[in-house]
Amino acid sequence: MVIFLKAGSELRDRLKPDIDFYTRRIETEQGKTIKEILADIGINPGLVAFIYTSGKVKGLHYIPSNGQTITLQPPVSGG
Amino acid sequence: MGLSESEKKRYSRQSNVRNWNQEKLKSARILIVGVGGLGSASALYLTAAGIGKLRLCDGDRVQDTDLNRQILYSQASVGKLKVEEAKKRLVVFNPNVEFETIPKFLDSQNADELTRGCDLIVDGLDNNESRFILNKQSVKEKKPYVYGAVQGWEGFVGLFHPPYTACIACFLPQHAHKAEKIPVPGVLPGTIGIFQATEVLKFLMGVEGTLLGRLLVYDSQNLTYEIVDVEKNQNCPHCAVS
Repeated sequence: MVIFLKAGSELRDRLKPDIDFYTRRIETEQGKTIKEILADIGINPGLVAFIYTSGKVKGLHYIPSNGQTITLQPPVSGG
Repeated sequence: MGLSESEKKRYSRQSNVRNWNQEKLKSARILIVGVGGLGSASALYLTAAGIGKLRLCDGDRVQDTDLNRQILYSQASVGKLKVEEAKKRLVVFNPNVEFETIPKFLDSQNADELTRGCDLIVDGLDNNESRFILNKQSVKEKKPYVYGAVQGWEGFVGLFHPPYTACIACFLPQHAHKAEKIPVPGVLPGTIGIFQATEVLKFLMGVEGTLLGRLLVYDSQNLTYEIVDVEKNQNCPHCAVS
């Protein structure tokens, strides 16, 4: 199946977007978690604080569906 | 709590904003933990709006490297306690606001003291370890928590009120990667701090459209934002009911 990953700015270089400025198309197997998919494409899941999709925050154990767009959010902790 | 004639005049431009309630603001007691980039902006605008009492908590002293974003301070502030410098600036700006300063860093020992008597907590912190201490206090006391965080070109704002909503531990990892010196342009904590102040005002006055239970993710580089729902995490280490 195909999913689309978008990245917050600190992760964009690692994601290597190929669709637009933010987004990379990923072919993956159904049933995999986001954590597993990140490991498959060489992104350390520890660099992602949380993800969100369809207007809701999810954890890294989320299993995406075909065609879904997932945004990866790196840690943001300054003030 | 009535308003004096001078207060009515001072706040006249906002008093006619739909659903505005100046007396509710005057009776509010707000805690701001961290008077750095975020806290400078939120404190300034909450002072301007006429919050009754602001408790400012920060154990830090002003450094040169703060001056690109911590807008309450000047070169003359370097080396001095942030809370005292902040109060000096704010009390002149609006003498109708009562200020209390606590020159301490938040920890699990003093959290009760810091939040006692406050209606709402504003996050001006610069690290997630302290945020989790403050969040635990918010959960324990059922006090609303206005979350804010910045890094690079991105910022977050959210309003959480456990147990009625999620808390920040529902979605932030307990052991996230830590940056030594977090890069941030001054405009970003200013923007996010003002968003936080806006959420405080709306919440206090019961204005609809707050970020209650939601997170605003703001990308200032590309001028995009998303508002996402944060669901309660049934396994949250802070707010899940055992």
